[in-house]
Amino acid sequence: MTALRAGHPRLQELAALTRRWYLQLVRDRLNLGLTLLQPAFWLVFFGGAVRRMVDDRVTGTPDYVSFLLPGVVAFTAIGTSISGAVPLLWDKETGYLDKLMSMPIARASLLGSRLAFQAAVTVVQVAVILLVAAAMGVRVRTGVVGVLVVLGVTAVLAVALSAVFLALAFHGPGHTTFFAVTGFVTLPLLFTSNAFVPVEAMPTWMALVARANPLTYAIEAMRLLVTSGWGVPVVAHLVGLVGFTALCVLLTHHRFRTYTSAR
Amino acid sequence: MGDAVTTTRLTRYFRRHAAVDGLDLRVPAGEIVGLIGPNGAGKTTTIRMLTTLLRPSAGQALVCGLDVRHEAVAVRRLIGYVPQEKGVRHLLTGRESLEIEADLHHIPRRRRDQRVAELLDLVGLLADADRMVSDYSGGMQKRLDLACGLLHAPELLILDEPTLGLDVVSRHRIWDYVRRLRAEGRAVLLATNYLDEADRLCDRITIIDRGREVVTGTPADLKRDVGADVVRVSTDRPEVLRSAIGHRAWVRQITIDDAGDLHVHVDDAATALPDLVRDAVRHGVDLTGVHYHRPTLDDVFLRHTGRVLAGHPA
Repeated sequence: MTALRAGHPRLQELAALTRRWYLQLVRDRLNLGLTLLQPAFWLVFFGGAVRRMVDDRVTGTPDYVSFLLPGVVAFTAIGTSISGAVPLLWDKETGYLDKLMSMPIARASLLGSRLAFQAAVTVVQVAVILLVAAAMGVRVRTGVVGVLVVLGVTAVLAVALSAVFLALAFHGPGHTTFFAVTGFVTLPLLFTSNAFVPVEAMPTWMALVARANPLTYAIEAMRLLVTSGWGVPVVAHLVGLVGFTALCVLLTHHRFRTYTSAR
Repeated sequence: MGDAVTTTRLTRYFRRHAAVDGLDLRVPAGEIVGLIGPNGAGKTTTIRMLTTLLRPSAGQALVCGLDVRHEAVAVRRLIGYVPQEKGVRHLLTGRESLEIEADLHHIPRRRRDQRVAELLDLVGLLADADRMVSDYSGGMQKRLDLACGLLHAPELLILDEPTLGLDVVSRHRIWDYVRRLRAEGRAVLLATNYLDEADRLCDRITIIDRGREVVTGTPADLKRDVGADVVRVSTDRPEVLRSAIGHRAWVRQITIDDAGDLHVHVDDAATALPDLVRDAVRHGVDLTGVHYHRPTLDDVFLRHTGRVLAGHPA
């Protein structure tokens, strides 16, 4: 706030953009409520229904809800990233993005504020999911520090996915294509990851696809933290996730610059 | 004072199509300049280049002496842009919208709230400042857009169809604010399809068509070039009246139509009319009706483009 009072232009514009994102989210109360509640429903209804028919030898843990938890986190990150691209899609289609771009703000501020905001929203959602999971008896094996790392993984995953869907919003011809593509990819993205089934239990071809799916790395890291404990594989998965995220952000930044300035 | 906008052979291609083709445009400080043309004429492309949203393919565009291509960031500090489209603000109040845009223009926080209140007052929205923008009428939203464009006291205000779809009262309010800006010495570039708006508001007008400048001038000069005013006189004795006024210096041409009305082409109807009435009285000619019309910008547009502007009868 000191820097803000001193009138640092970049911080001032970041704060203004974040305020706009925040007000748009909290004033859309129905959307906000559903956004917070939907993942918890997944955990309670899907996890609760399926837990008895799952083979412990396949999941590697007797508690399917613990096993499912990282998958629900990933599912939540996808949904929030898609809906998080929509405000900028509307800005693009209503011409307000042009108005923003005619102001003396950095292009990176617009993109950066949106990605950070999306990460924050997803972290809040996942915190709610973790509370629901705790109420259902899930105990994170790595304790409080592990929970914080799970939230960190969530934030990184949210940035990666938001970047991808923002790139689609800027690149695509309009909202019809955007919703068609995002409506189509959500479930294939989840089912070709280890969200519901471990990679080891998949047919060979599917396991190959799953290993190429970046969701797998995020889910595996979180699953180890929730059901097993600390270890080298956690770090390896996190490195893979961070690399993928960096790639997504660079790609989106390039798409955004192309859209806003090099035309 | 220098020019707020100077373009030299400004050109923009989309693939092989030249949307703007060698445009020379000038907007002096303290003037309102109208940019008029049919849809697809290149108005929006020109505005997008001046607001740094599009790069020119060739030629040059200077805003207050700064090149839009090489000094885009500095140019953005000098311009206020009010686009045709409404932004997504329906979940914000009017005051919040202005506060956020003030921050995006880097107006210091200690001055921000006062500046926002000033502009809300200027556009008559102070009493409605804390209502949601979604509750605003079209005219109120446009006034809010205008206030947003004025927050940082720009040297050049670019208005794209500022009164599109507004009622008469709202249009006049917007015109009043724009005139006030001119009085403050600021330059305004106004793209409009409303020729009466351009006529009433603009100091000069540039008509563009197919990306090129067709003609530039003051509304009065442009209309004068089209031809004389036409006075239409209804009387029982048209031939007598024709003889009575035929030698007058202000008469350019007289015709009598099938209904027996005289069409007197004059240089300036305002000065000719008293003489015409006086001559009629002196020769005992009763006048049953006198009408005149001045050439409008519709006539100017028709003459230079060979077309009628969409939605505007010539």
